[in-house]
Amino acid sequence: MGRLALIGRLAARDLRRRPAQAGLLLIAIMAATTTLTLALALHGVTGHPYQRTRAATAGPDVVAEYGPPGTGQPSQPSQPSQPSQPSQPSQPVTPDARPLIHAPGVTEHSGPFLAASVLLRAHGIAVSVLAEGRAPGRAKVDQPLVTSGTWVRPGTVVLERTLATALGVRPGDAVTLGGRRFKVAGTAVSAAQTPFPNMCEAGCMTSGGGPGPGLAWVTPASARALARQAAWIYVLNLRLTDPGRAPALAAEFGQNRRLTPAASLLIPWQVVRNADGLLVADEQSVLEPGSWLLGLLAVATVGVLTGGRVAEQARRVGRLKAAGGTPGLIAAVLLAENLALALVAAAAGLAAGWLAAPLLTSPGAGLVGAPGAPSLTPSTIGLVAAMALAVALVATLVPALRAARTSTVVALADTARPPRRRHALIAVTRRLPAPLLIGLRLAGRRPRRLVLSMASTTVTAAGIVAVLAFHAMSDAHRVAAASGLANPVATRDGQVLAVLTVALIALAGLNAVVTTWATVLDTRHSAALTRALGATPGQVSAGLSAAQLIAALPGVLLGIPAGLLLYKVANGSGQLVTPPAWWLASAAAGILAAVAALAVVSARAGTRAAVARTLQAETA
Amino acid sequence: MQQEVVLALLAKEPSHGYELRARLGQALGPLGDSMNAGQIYVTLARLEKAGLVTSERSAGLADRPDRKVYELSAAGQLRVAGWLAEVSWPKPDLTEFHLKLVAAAAAGLADPVAMVDTQRRELLRRLREAQRAAMAEPDGSAAGLLLEGIVLRLQADLRWLEECERNWTGRRRPS
Amino acid sequence: MSETPASETPGSETPGSETPGTPVVRVVGLHREYGREAGLVRAVDGVDLEVAAGETLAVMGPSGCGKSTLLHLLGGLDRPTAGEIWLSGQRVDQMSERALGRLRRDGVGFVFQAFHLMDELTAVENVELPALLAGRSPRAARRRAAELLDRVGLADRASFLPSALSGGQRQRVAVARALSNDPLVVLADEPTGNLDSEATVDVLRLFEELHEAGQTLVVVTHDARIAATADRLISMRDGAFVDETRLTGGSSGQLGALAGLEG
Repeated sequence: MGRLALIGRLAARDLRRRPAQAGLLLIAIMAATTTLTLALALHGVTGHPYQRTRAATAGPDVVAEYGPPGTGQPSQPSQPSQPSQPSQPSQPVTPDARPLIHAPGVTEHSGPFLAASVLLRAHGIAVSVLAEGRAPGRAKVDQPLVTSGTWVRPGTVVLERTLATALGVRPGDAVTLGGRRFKVAGTAVSAAQTPFPNMCEAGCMTSGGGPGPGLAWVTPASARALARQAAWIYVLNLRLTDPGRAPALAAEFGQNRRLTPAASLLIPWQVVRNADGLLVADEQSVLEPGSWLLGLLAVATVGVLTGGRVAEQARRVGRLKAAGGTPGLIAAVLLAENLALALVAAAAGLAAGWLAAPLLTSPGAGLVGAPGAPSLTPSTIGLVAAMALAVALVATLVPALRAARTSTVVALADTARPPRRRHALIAVTRRLPAPLLIGLRLAGRRPRRLVLSMASTTVTAAGIVAVLAFHAMSDAHRVAAASGLANPVATRDGQVLAVLTVALIALAGLNAVVTTWATVLDTRHSAALTRALGATPGQVSAGLSAAQLIAALPGVLLGIPAGLLLYKVANGSGQLVTPPAWWLASAAAGILAAVAALAVVSARAGTRAAVARTLQAETA
Repeated sequence: MQQEVVLALLAKEPSHGYELRARLGQALGPLGDSMNAGQIYVTLARLEKAGLVTSERSAGLADRPDRKVYELSAAGQLRVAGWLAEVSWPKPDLTEFHLKLVAAAAAGLADPVAMVDTQRRELLRRLREAQRAAMAEPDGSAAGLLLEGIVLRLQADLRWLEECERNWTGRRRPS
Repeated sequence: MSETPASETPGSETPGSETPGTPVVRVVGLHREYGREAGLVRAVDGVDLEVAAGETLAVMGPSGCGKSTLLHLLGGLDRPTAGEIWLSGQRVDQMSERALGRLRRDGVGFVFQAFHLMDELTAVENVELPALLAGRSPRAARRRAAELLDRVGLADRASFLPSALSGGQRQRVAVARALSNDPLVVLADEPTGNLDSEATVDVLRLFEELHEAGQTLVVVTHDARIAATADRLISMRDGAFVDETRLTGGSSGQLGALAGLEG
C-alpha cells in the first residue's frame, strides 16, 4: 500500500511541476476521444437506421395498396411518377382483403386503412400527402412511432417527421388538408413507406408531381371525409413468417388474381429499405469518410504530443533511476501519470462528444436515428476508453523501455534526445535572414514532429476539399424546389457538412497550436540562448511560425488531390468531381493563413519568459 | 637558505659557490632574482663548521670565499640521503594569523574583519604577481612549476580568508 | 611605484580614472528583488558602479550574493526592479525586448559558466552565429569567426563539435563567440567554474590578452586566480558591494618572499 501511495505522490508531483506539458497532452487526448465519440455516433446513425425504425414500429414485411377498381397500371417502383389519373371522386369501397390475409406465409396484418391523396397547405406552401386513417389503438403491424407531440385525435393530423421538418411545421400548428382545417397533433416515423420526398421511389399508386407525396395520419372519420373529394387507396400491412422471402411472395401474390385484384400494388420491405437508402447514401458518402478524417487528425495530434513527452521523459527517468528507483517503479510512476490524464480525457471527450453529436444527427431524419441526444452505448464508451488507455500505454512503454535499457549516466546527461547534426539544414539556413535561420534550426531539431504536422495539414486539406467537391456536386444536382420547399436532404447534408467542416478546422487549428507550443517547450533552452546572443523575441516567434508554415505548404498541396480522390472513392457513383479552381485556391490560402496565425500566437506566448531564468533552469 | 638545499645541490659534483648560485637561480627563475648573493656563502660556511661540507682552495688564489671548491663530506652525504627520503611537508602557517585575529578581537585593539580584508588585499596582489610570472615562463620550465604551486597555495589561503571574513563578520553582529 | 590599499567606501569611484570620457558601463541605484513579503529575496540591493573603457573589473563574493544576477542585469538578460543601467551613454533598463535583443547583439558579449554552446554546431558555426543574427553576410561572418578562433588558439579545431572539445577549449570557443560582434563589454559569469586547473590557465591567458587589446571586461567569479587578473576588484555580499580594491601596480619585488627564500 505504501508503494502505491509513493507512486501516486511521485506522479502527482511530477504533473504539478510540468503543468503545461500535462495540459497539452490532456487536450490532445481529449480531442481524439471527442472526435472518436462523434465518429461513432455518426456511424451509428447512418449504420442501420431503417432496421431500427422497422423494429420500433413493428414494420410490415409487405405493404399492399388497393386502388379504386378499374384504375390502370399502378406506377412501377423507381420510375418517374406519371401524372395523376383523372380521378372521378368515387366513394371508397373497402376491398376484400381476406384472401391475402389468409394466404400461406402471412401471419399478421393491419388494415386495410383508407388513405386519401390530398393537398396539404402549411405556411404558404402546398404539397400533396397521403392521409391514412388510423384508429387510436395500437395496430399489430406498422404502428408509427410518435417522435413529438401526440398520436391522432379527432380534428388533428400527425405528419411524418421529415415532411414536418421540410414544411417547418410543429405540433400545435394549424394546417389545411384537402381544404379542411386540421391541427397538427405531432410527428411520427414509419417503416412502411419511404420518408418524404422519396416515397414513390418504392412505388406508388398515387402521385402528385414534384417532390412527394408525404405521409400523414388522421382519424378514420377524417379520412372518409377527405376521400369523398379526392383520390383514395386502401393500405394493408402484412407480416410474413419469413420476412426474407418478401420480394418473392409479393411478386407471387401480385400475379395471383385470386389473392389480389388488378388495381393493386405489393411492396416488399426490402424495396422500401433500398429506396430509403437513397436518402442516407449521400450522407454516408460524407459522414463516414468525415469521421475517419477526424479520427486521423486526432491521432496525428496525439502522436505529436506523445513524441514530445517521450523526449522529455528521458531525463526524468534518469533522475528517478539515480535516486534509486527500479525500472519497475519508474514505469509505474509514468503509467500512473499517463493513465490519470487519459482517463480524465476520455471522460471529458465522451461528454463533449455526447453534447456535440446532436448537431450532426439532428432533425430532418425520417428515421429512428438519433432524436435528441444519442445515448452512449456501452460499446462507444468502451472504444473511447480503450483508445485513451492505448495512448497512455504507448506513452508509457516507450520511455519505460528506454529507461530499462539505457544506463543512468547516459539518461541523466541526455538533454532529451540530443539533436543529430544536420549538415544540409545548417548550411542552408546560414544564408537565410535571421528569423528563418532561427525558426528552421529550432523546428528542424525534431523533424518527425514537422512531418506529423504536415500530415495533419494534409488530412485537413483533404477533408475540406472533399466537402467542397460535395458542394459542387449537389449544386449541380439540386432538386428543383418548385414549391419553395426546402429539400430536406440537401438541408440536412448542408448542416452536417457545416458541422463537419467546423470540427475539421477546429481540430486542425488545435493541432497547429499544439505543434508550435510543443516545439516552443522543447526548444526553450536553445531559444533562450539564441536570445542571449542577440535575437529578439519577435524574431524567434516569427521564425517558429515560418517553420510551421513551410511545413504546412506541402501538406496543403498534397491534400487537394487527396481530397478529390477521397470524394471520388466515397461517393456512390465513383466519378471525379472537381470544384472550381478558385474555391480550392481560397481553401488552400485559408488553411495556410490559419496555420500561420495560430503558430504566431502560440510562439509569441511561449517566448515571453526571462532569458536568464530559462538558461539557469536548464543547467540546474 | 635552508641548509639541506645547499647540501643537495652539492650532491651532483663538487662546485664553487658561484656555480651553486647559478644552479639555484636556474631552478628558481624570477623568484631567485631577489636572492641575496652572499647568503649562499654564509650557509656554506655554517655547513663547513658543522662538518657536512669540506672545502678546498683553488690552486694559487687568495683566500676568498668564491674561489673555494666545496664538496660533500660523508656525513653530508648521509644527511642528503636522509633529507631526500623524508616525507614531511612544510607546515602551513595559519596559526599565527588566526591568533592575531583572536587577540585583536579580545583586546579590542583592532577590527578583525578589517585585518582580514587588508590581508586579503595583500595576498591578492601577491597572487597577481605570481600568476603573471608563472604565465610568462615557458611551458615545462621548473621555475614555472614552482610558481604555479605558489599560486595555488595563495588561492587556497585566500579561500580561507574569505571564510574568516564571513566568520568574523558574523561574530561582530549582535546575535 | 608604491601603492596604498585603496579601501575606499564601497561603490565610489576614484575621480580621474585612467581614461576620460563616458564610462562603458554605469549603474545607479540598482535593485532586483524576487518574491513577496516573507519570501522577498533582495538579489541586488542598491548597487552603484562605473566601468571605464578597457578596464577589467572582477566581482567576487560567496554563492548567492547576487553577483550573477548583477551580471544578467548588465547584459539585458533580466530586468531590474529599480535603478538605472547605462551602456556607453544609452539607458538600457527600460528598453523593449526588441531593443534589448539588438543590444545583446552589438553591445554585449556573454560568457557563461556552462559554456552554452549549441551542441549540434561546430566551433566555427557557433562563433559565427551572433554575426549571422546581426544580419552580416554569411561569408563575412564565417571569415570573422575563423579569425576569432585563430585568436583564441583554436584554428585547428574549427570544424569540431563541442562534444569533441575539452572544457577549456569549449570555453575559449565561447569567448570567441562573445567577441563576434565586437562588443563594448564582455560579461563573463564564472567562466572557469567548470574548468580544471590547466584549462583555467588557458582562459586566464586569454583574458589577459583581451585586456591588453583594450577590451572592457566584467568578470564575476569566486576564483581568486581570475580576480587577480583584474584592474579592480569589488567584493559583494547579500546583494551589495562591501569592498573595492585596485590591483594595478608594478611588481613589488616580493617574489622572493613568496618563495620563502629569506631566512
